[in-house]
Amino acid sequence: MRVTSNSFPTRLLDQITRLTNRTNQYQTQAATGQRITLPEDDPASMRRVMDMQGEGRKLTQYADNIGRHQELAQASYSSMSATKKIVDRAGEIATLAGGVNSPEQLKILSGEVDQLLARAVQFANVKNRNDYLFAGTKSDTVPFVAVKDAQGRTTSVSYQGNVDLAESEIAEQVTLSAQTVGANTTGTGNRGLFVDSQAGADLFGHLIALRDNLQSGNVAQIQSVDRVDIQKDEENLLFHYGSNGAAQARLETSLAVSKQRLESLNMLVSKETDVDLATTIVKLTETQNAYKAALQSGSTILHQSLLDYIR
Amino acid sequence: MTGLGLFGSLSMATRSLSTARAGTEVAGNNLANVNTPGYARQRVSIVTSGSVPSAFGPQGTGSMAVGITSIRDTLVDGQMLSELSVRGSLESQQQGLQYIQSATGERLDRTGADTSGASNGIAKDLSDLFDSFQKISSPNTNDPAARQTLVASAQDLATHLNQIVQRFDAVRSGIGNSIGADVTAANDIIDQVAKLNSEIVKVEVGGNGRANDLRDARQQKLEDLAKFANFSVTETPQGASNIAIDGLAIITGAVVTNRLEAFDAGGGQVLVRALGTATTLNIQGGSIHGRIESRDVALAKTRGEIDLLASNLISEVNAIHATGFGLTGTTGNDFFLGTGAGDIKVNPALKNNLQLIQANGVAGDVGNNTVVLKLAQLGDKPIVALGGERLGGYYAQAIASMGQDLKTINTQIGNQDIVQNMLESQRDSVMGVSIDEEMTDLMKFQKAFSASAKMVTTIDEMLDTILNMKR
Repeated sequence: MRVTSNSFPTRLLDQITRLTNRTNQYQTQAATGQRITLPEDDPASMRRVMDMQGEGRKLTQYADNIGRHQELAQASYSSMSATKKIVDRAGEIATLAGGVNSPEQLKILSGEVDQLLARAVQFANVKNRNDYLFAGTKSDTVPFVAVKDAQGRTTSVSYQGNVDLAESEIAEQVTLSAQTVGANTTGTGNRGLFVDSQAGADLFGHLIALRDNLQSGNVAQIQSVDRVDIQKDEENLLFHYGSNGAAQARLETSLAVSKQRLESLNMLVSKETDVDLATTIVKLTETQNAYKAALQSGSTILHQSLLDYIR
Repeated sequence: MTGLGLFGSLSMATRSLSTARAGTEVAGNNLANVNTPGYARQRVSIVTSGSVPSAFGPQGTGSMAVGITSIRDTLVDGQMLSELSVRGSLESQQQGLQYIQSATGERLDRTGADTSGASNGIAKDLSDLFDSFQKISSPNTNDPAARQTLVASAQDLATHLNQIVQRFDAVRSGIGNSIGADVTAANDIIDQVAKLNSEIVKVEVGGNGRANDLRDARQQKLEDLAKFANFSVTETPQGASNIAIDGLAIITGAVVTNRLEAFDAGGGQVLVRALGTATTLNIQGGSIHGRIESRDVALAKTRGEIDLLASNLISEVNAIHATGFGLTGTTGNDFFLGTGAGDIKVNPALKNNLQLIQANGVAGDVGNNTVVLKLAQLGDKPIVALGGERLGGYYAQAIASMGQDLKTINTQIGNQDIVQNMLESQRDSVMGVSIDEEMTDLMKFQKAFSASAKMVTTIDEMLDTILNMKR
């Protein structure tokens, strides 16, 4: 092919432009560590990365949800522990009453049970972040309301909440609630912590009965009925302890899985987007060398012509 | 007769001087135009002048220059026109798609705080919206901070969608303006080609030889025109190039028969037709074609996808939200207002009163999160109207599809570079000026000139000798 005077500069310019573009590409890759930045760089990878980014954000949100559930579970556990102490003491008093003959001593015990009752109502109405923990989904309603007589003694405690629980996602399509309803007298559904007809638990009613029987000195009733009832309350509490523990363990596991998945996702995103720095640097050096060679050879050729040799 | 004789020889030497001079002039002209775009090297055509009878048979009378020819390859010239119009179209499409890509704002940046490389695009806004629903569902539906976050993230998404549509509209309008500018420039070139046709015909019909420089200039103008639109060229016996676009005569001889006109076909869709006619020209190459393609295909497709995404987001979110109850017991309110990406917005009533967000499944149960949980799970729901994709997945696919279109165009431009470089090399090898060649020619004709001059002095001396014989 015939080579003309403009062949060299035209091709040199074309080569330099190509090499400059390539240098720019490798330099950007080396500076950012990324193989792709824009959708046009690798559309299929971009789609996969966008999906993974979405999944990553979702996993982070699931971790937040789990954290919130753990907070609720721990707050519920604290109330349960405190209530367990009340039940334990009530059981002790019921047992103790069998060996006490003095009506005055029984009345003192009755007074203590009344205090336990007040504390139990207080624990049942505990709040977390301005929400009542044991009101079901009626979380803005005081769950337990004590009705008092003229002497200021609690005669009954009524439940204002419901038996529904708010579940939220801890993984894709996996929902969970770490809450506990305060009372359930329907015989079905979520079991109540303080009152549950399935388990025969009615902590407030049983404490009121124990208090009144202690007050009236009805030891036989305490021994035959109240002790058994309080035993049922304790068993019901233990059931909820177990449920709470299981929920917390599940939350821990879910959190660990979420974190593992996030780490894996980061690795996958890295695999899709990151450059092999060593390869990029080598390619950048190669391109720079080619660029220098093009300039050097170009300037040598362009400087020479027949004009240099004719007089 | 005994050949030329001294005076005949003197004439031969004079012709020879003229021929050598013409040769140096043409070489000089070539050297002067070594960097002139579109210039084709020229060669002086030299033939032997007629012979005269002599005692020894016909005797040569030297040489003479009979014309100057331009060395062009019409096949390569024709191919160049075709490839330039392809390139013009591809470059305009690339430009349009790059605008679209920029308008979406989707880019990966893993150097920032978010190591997943998330940008502040629609994908992130969609995730943020569903995360905000999650925050309310987990499990404190009456938390004002979470409700405020939800409204803010929903408004961010809506605003972002509005902005993308505004940017798309700006791109569309810009493309319309560019088509108008291209048409103006093309009309200007059409005028110049017609004028050059006129001059070429005048020169060549007058028997003054081939109008090489004018033809070079016309080829250059035709190549400029090819960048705007593809056309067919027919050369007339008189030397004019007749031009037709989409079968419609644009230049006939020296006359511009039709000018191009950009017009709004409705809704800002700028198309091209012949001035004074109603029929749209179906231009299949050049930047005008590329711009129309990028607007009516790529931009329309991406905009349609963003609109479909927004309209489904509105309908799906509203359908669930309407079944819920606000903290004040209200129900049936829409969460989003609008019909598509251009006008989507958060219901102002909800923004003004966060309690109206209908997150609860049962009126009065502020902890009942069944509705907001459904809203949170909507992000994972395949939607039939989106081809079974999730909202986020559909958007990611739209971005990937647009990216693929741009990548394809980038590859085509790369291929086109190779084709065009080959054609340019091919053409340069035929018509390009080589300084070395011209310098050699210059030396060759200089020597011939010197030799002819020497012949004149020799004949002169011979004549002197004859004249001095009489003394």
